[in-house]
Amino acid sequence: MEHWLYIFNIAGHNISVNLDTIFTMWFAMLFLIIVAFISTRNLSFVPNKMQTVSEAVMKFFYGTLDTMIEGKNREHIPLVASLFLFILTANLMGQLPLRLVHIREGELASPTNDINLTAAMAIIVLVYYVFMGIRAKGRKFFIHDFSFTGIVMALVEILEMFTRPLSLAIRLFANIFAGEILVSIALGAMAYFLPLPIMLFEILVAFIQATVFMMLTIAYVGSATGEEH
Amino acid sequence: MTDLVSMAHLGAGIAIGFGAVGAGLGIGFATKGLMDAVSRQPEVAGKAFGFFLLGAALSEACALYAFVIAFMLLGK
Repeated sequence: MEHWLYIFNIAGHNISVNLDTIFTMWFAMLFLIIVAFISTRNLSFVPNKMQTVSEAVMKFFYGTLDTMIEGKNREHIPLVASLFLFILTANLMGQLPLRLVHIREGELASPTNDINLTAAMAIIVLVYYVFMGIRAKGRKFFIHDFSFTGIVMALVEILEMFTRPLSLAIRLFANIFAGEILVSIALGAMAYFLPLPIMLFEILVAFIQATVFMMLTIAYVGSATGEEH
Repeated sequence: MTDLVSMAHLGAGIAIGFGAVGAGLGIGFATKGLMDAVSRQPEVAGKAFGFFLLGAALSEACALYAFVIAFMLLGK
């Protein structure tokens, strides 16, 4: 899966940008922005169809946050909801026939098949939960007490700050990437028939991976701001 | 045929094979847990299935880490 690399030069450093990922990412974002704009127009006490759907989606986030974080958890809604909706839209976009549009190199597919995008989202999650932990606990976020177990646990948690974003990024990327490879292999084995069940399975994977990313984000934020680690 | 490329291809096969063993064990244990929970309390089936899907996706991801490594080796 090659990407359409665009290389430009800033102060002697070559910086490459994957143009196809940027295009599909903006497509997903534009879709979400338009849906959010339409569904928040003309809000009324008796909801119309669009408002019912968006209220059900918001209730899903409220319920998930309530089961996993105690106390004040509504402030995490913007990050959690936008991560879930963006990842879901991006994953489902991979099943659209966007590959029919020919670009110079690479292909238009799901933007989450690029590890740069998933790594950026994972780093955003890392920054967010470290910030929330410091705001909730101050110095005690890093070290609880100056005993032997306290210092060992602090070291383990610093190690987790590297492994958590790494596993988040690679999990999402590898699921979508493996799905695309699987579909292309099935296409080579028995065209038009064998890819269909695999593509249906990929729709399930899209939902599951968006949920997993959201659940893990909530779990990390909850463990960072909760009373005990 | 012991050049670097064929060794990398061999390594890719070994990587995805052992990765699949771990993920298969993980999903098997998750299914066992689901079956135990559902047979003990059939009314929690819907809720338990959601947690099962989450756990299965998490353990499946381990095989996909191996897949990424294998693909990187194939690209050598």
